[in-house]
Amino acid sequence: MLLIHCPYCNETLPELEFAYAGEAHIARPQNPSEVSDEDWAEFLFMRANVKGLHYERWRHLHGCGRFFNAVRDTVSDKFVTTYPAGAPRPALDSLLETSAEGGK
Amino acid sequence: MNALTSQSDFLAETAAVRIAMAAPRSRFSLRLRENLAPFEAALGLSLGGPLGSRASAGERETLRLGPDEWMLHTSLADAGAVEAALSALYATQPHSLVNVSAREVSFVIDGPRAAELLTLGCPRDIAKIAPGSGRRTVFDGVTVILWRDAPDAFRIDCWNSFAPHILDLLKTGARELAAEAP
Amino acid sequence: MSHYRVPGKGRVDLSRPVSFTFEGRAYTGGRGDTVASALLAHGVHLMGRSFKYHRPRGAVAAGSEEPNALIGTRRGPGRFEPNTRATVQEIYEGLQTNAQNKYPSLKFDIGAVNDAAYMLFSAGFYYKTFMWPRSFWDKVYEPFIRAAAGLGVSPTEEDPDLYASRNLHVDVLVVGAGPSGIAAAKAACAEGLSVVLVDENAEIGGTLLSEPQAVIDGAPAWDWIATELAALKAAGVKVMTRTTAIAYYHQNMIGLCEKLTDHLAQLPDDTPRERLWRVRAGQVVLAQGALEKPLVFHGNDRPGVMLAGAAQTYLNRYGVLVGKRPVVITSHDSAWFAAFDLADAGAKVQAIVDLREGVPETLLAQARARGIPVKLSHTATATKGRLRVKSLRVNPVSGGSVEAGEEISCDAVLMSGGWTPSLHLFSHTKGKLAWDEDRTTFLPDETPEDCVIAGASRGLWGIEAALNDGAEKGRAAAAALGKAGAANVYGVAQDRTGTGISMKELPTDLSAGKAKAFVDFQNDVTAKDLRLAVREGMRSIEHVKRYTTNGMATDQGKMSNINGLNIASDALGRKQPQVGLTTFRPPYTPTTFGAFAGYHRGHHFEVTRKTQIDAWAQEHGAAFEPVAQWRRAWYFPQSGESMDDAVRRECAATRASVGIFDASTLGKIEVVGPDAVEFMNRMYTNPWTKLGVGRCRYGLLCGDDGFIRDDGVIGRMGQDKFHVTTTTGGAARVLNMMEDYLQTEWPDLNVWLTSTTEEWSTIALNGPMAAKLLQPLTDVTLTEEAFPHMSCVECTVAGMPARLFRVSFTGEIGFEVNVPAPMGRKLWETLWEAGQPYGITPYGTETMHVLRAEKGYIIVGQDTDGTVTPYDAGMGWAVGKSKPDFVGKRGLARPDLVAEGRKQLVGLLTEDGSKLEEGAQIVFDAAQPVPMTMVGHVTSSYDVGTTGHPIALALVAGGHGRMGQTVYIPMPDRTIAAKITSTVFADPENSRLKIPADQGVAA
Ligand SMILES: [Zn+2]
Repeated sequence: MLLIHCPYCNETLPELEFAYAGEAHIARPQNPSEVSDEDWAEFLFMRANVKGLHYERWRHLHGCGRFFNAVRDTVSDKFVTTYPAGAPRPALDSLLETSAEGGK
Repeated sequence: MNALTSQSDFLAETAAVRIAMAAPRSRFSLRLRENLAPFEAALGLSLGGPLGSRASAGERETLRLGPDEWMLHTSLADAGAVEAALSALYATQPHSLVNVSAREVSFVIDGPRAAELLTLGCPRDIAKIAPGSGRRTVFDGVTVILWRDAPDAFRIDCWNSFAPHILDLLKTGARELAAEAP
Repeated sequence: MSHYRVPGKGRVDLSRPVSFTFEGRAYTGGRGDTVASALLAHGVHLMGRSFKYHRPRGAVAAGSEEPNALIGTRRGPGRFEPNTRATVQEIYEGLQTNAQNKYPSLKFDIGAVNDAAYMLFSAGFYYKTFMWPRSFWDKVYEPFIRAAAGLGVSPTEEDPDLYASRNLHVDVLVVGAGPSGIAAAKAACAEGLSVVLVDENAEIGGTLLSEPQAVIDGAPAWDWIATELAALKAAGVKVMTRTTAIAYYHQNMIGLCEKLTDHLAQLPDDTPRERLWRVRAGQVVLAQGALEKPLVFHGNDRPGVMLAGAAQTYLNRYGVLVGKRPVVITSHDSAWFAAFDLADAGAKVQAIVDLREGVPETLLAQARARGIPVKLSHTATATKGRLRVKSLRVNPVSGGSVEAGEEISCDAVLMSGGWTPSLHLFSHTKGKLAWDEDRTTFLPDETPEDCVIAGASRGLWGIEAALNDGAEKGRAAAAALGKAGAANVYGVAQDRTGTGISMKELPTDLSAGKAKAFVDFQNDVTAKDLRLAVREGMRSIEHVKRYTTNGMATDQGKMSNINGLNIASDALGRKQPQVGLTTFRPPYTPTTFGAFAGYHRGHHFEVTRKTQIDAWAQEHGAAFEPVAQWRRAWYFPQSGESMDDAVRRECAATRASVGIFDASTLGKIEVVGPDAVEFMNRMYTNPWTKLGVGRCRYGLLCGDDGFIRDDGVIGRMGQDKFHVTTTTGGAARVLNMMEDYLQTEWPDLNVWLTSTTEEWSTIALNGPMAAKLLQPLTDVTLTEEAFPHMSCVECTVAGMPARLFRVSFTGEIGFEVNVPAPMGRKLWETLWEAGQPYGITPYGTETMHVLRAEKGYIIVGQDTDGTVTPYDAGMGWAVGKSKPDFVGKRGLARPDLVAEGRKQLVGLLTEDGSKLEEGAQIVFDAAQPVPMTMVGHVTSSYDVGTTGHPIALALVAGGHGRMGQTVYIPMPDRTIAAKITSTVFADPENSRLKIPADQGVAA
């Protein structure tokens, strides 16, 4: 069972308090009616499914209730970082350095 | 403890812990945006601090559950005053105050092994919840609000329909802990 | 009596005899004995029969790795456990035990015919035998496999014991309380760090319990254990015995299974039998020691053949000589010390036979001093004896060839093939292993966890090395947590260090096909099986394992893995690391289902949510059904009524007069804020701007893909306040979806969501008399003009604060009264009393389902399945087409969702008046060849309603354009023809929704 750092509670807590919420940084288009069928299908259905560092969303369901973003290594299952919803996507390079230092 | 409970009858009482049902209280879910000051002034207590912070003034006590969410408890008699104070703010300070008094109940747990009793159902480290603070967390699969009133005294708020399940495990645990060799 | 008990030896308290039974016969032992040690004290080696060949077997080990001596234990009804290792089960007064896999008796077993039919059961037996013909599967093969599968017998009675679980957060967890574990715990408990030391044995000490000769810093080993235990406890270390670390999960989450009562004669009250600890540790020190390997030779499984280290443990820890005339066969120095200890305790050691050409002179000298004959460069080729070994055949090996053998008479054979570091938990961490060529074994390499491995489990040998490594690793664990632990430096006298070589199967002069040289004792896998698997094409150890079942028994190959690997790699002509080691998986040792279930059994199995009115329903004989986590009243049978009878009566009574229904489980969400109406417009398909305060509307919720997710009536309680209802099962999901959009897509909206599902008890009144019944109880004027259909208001009902909705899910005049939850039962009883003149009828979810189906109202999740749009469901009227956007709007315009031929919700009426089966498939042409083209399915079907004939709802391709056409529903015995109709079967004009003018009585 994983440990997850909630960026709102600023605590590292057991996975049982959290719910997974899919890939992160897939913004709903501002004006959906102007989006082509292809782009809308892309938004609805296509996901990265990476082997390695994955941007994803979690919700601190049994806690502060907030949705937030995380970068998790899908191979080791380790979280590299978590950050509030709406914050920019952290760059992979800097994350890998943190990861190498054993950041949790 | 009796001040918090409706009667001196305990639902469970062992050498390890005592469990009682808290007396009815008015409960409000308060949601608002960044500007805390007008609300603090209206309620007469502080809403700031990290998540899990508590404040109290007279009958009123609050627990910060989220960046924009507080649980507010007060006496039954004070409920109208709370509603009036905040409704006066609504036009200039939009917020949501929802009466949830009938939604949930509280168990009061105290005794030398109260914190250990919670480890039967809480995966998080109880030691990291400082006395005088609280958290929303999970107990045996159920969302609860945990108030730590003292090192060995807690309250658990849960929705009505989850209460029998939670109480059942608390009682089992009270007996189990008491049966352990010291 | 106990002919093999050695006075003055061991830690068993014989002052008060403990009686137990094995195979119906009474035996005695002492406190501290296991079943195995107590039986061995009586000279009993035969403890069971093997799984496949039913060969007689005895204990081969002295600990939890034991593969052979599996017994059933019983202490009264429901307290039977199969497959307990006799080497672990402590005896207590009254314990009843039995051997397994024996028929009719342990000493004479018919199944042993399998042993003679050995050739039949070789590697890949199952794959080769149970292939053809197909028709044999059900009648012949499957019954045979089921009968042969599994060890022991499953218990049939309910287990009366309690099981428990706890979460524990610690700084340092030390697994294994042998010398390295004890030293690690001591070094780690620095500067207030919390330390837990666990061991699966009844007492700490590990190998020290079997090596009392060692002297640690001047103290005899056993004195040292007592001193250290007291010191650890004084320092606040939590020492847990009879506690097995069964699994190592992500981020230092370790599962511990603590056995609390299996050793007690009297079961204490309120004490669980086992407790599963979920430990989260900052640092973990794995100090699990090493396990001894058997030697692989013909007849190595005969009772009386056991590991040399086990014999040493039985002697030194339990005071039991496993034989008075033992012979030793070994490839490692350690067995020599076992021989010396047994000799010193009075055994006449027949010989020490070593496979190696040379051994240290000190060992030879000690053997000479005790008069023990020594045979170097010898192999073992056979044993004799039926139920107990009586001789060992040994042969000199010279220049690679096995020469003529001789038989050494004996009553026990002590074997040692060297030691395998115990790496099971380390493997659970996905830790990498490195092959050590010198020691012919795998050693721990890197692990992604915050974990260190100490002592013999990383290949160190000897007590002094283990102690000092443990201390250093404990200090390192503390240092990793930022604390300065102190690593003692230990000095040990009488330490027994040594080395050895690792073997494949021993060289023999027997023909290869004849040798039954066992590698995996529990699954009866021989060296020959492994070589056959390689010959038949298995190349990876994972394939060899599955083909032969080597290492797949409940012991997960603790004793067999490296021997199996050595043989497979020899057969393949490749080095061991290229062949690979199989994966160890949790749990480390077999663990009861009870431990995993913990408190979650019986009435506490899962949360059962009940409404405030549930008790009334129970008192009035309701049958219940589970809906999500809730239990809901399903129907209210009166005496002698079947379910159909009851539902038919409830339906009729509701349409005739008035029915009362507990709707409290409906999800409720309070939506509050200046942007509430904007939020509702974006979330639901319907338009909300023009909905006036005091009015409510049926709302439809889609996903962004355009498919229906949920529905419910939504009331506008104020300009900025909506009372949203959801389906019972959808409550949490809908709130989560709304929070998701609000927090992450529209964080600018000033609106907040609060679950009020449990704030309200909700009681529905439906029927022509509903308004008449309710009117005297409220000050709201219940006329068509004053409070029309789809109105809502905050008011009082029966003196209680209430939110009153005029809504109908039945087609009748309907009200839903919401009062603060705890008042629900009082309101129900008040309405019940007031309803008596009208013959008020309580109804359950089944009647609710029937009545709504008659009106064509959908149940989300029954008539929809996640692929149904509002248009498919015939509810295009609920879509606010002129809104610029809402969740699902763009999705509804996707090409697939506007294509012709989509499955659409329609009504079905059967031509023969029979009831259709829900889920039944529909075809257009019943005469087409099989497989037919299926064009839809029946979603709802009832024949107990008020329409006089069965009705059904169905999803049918292009259904809305096929009104009046006939479709077919093929069933196993016949094909049913049905006509496509509208989904509304009752009162299509909605005339029954209106309160007649003469009924309106102002309050
Ligand atoms: Zn949080």
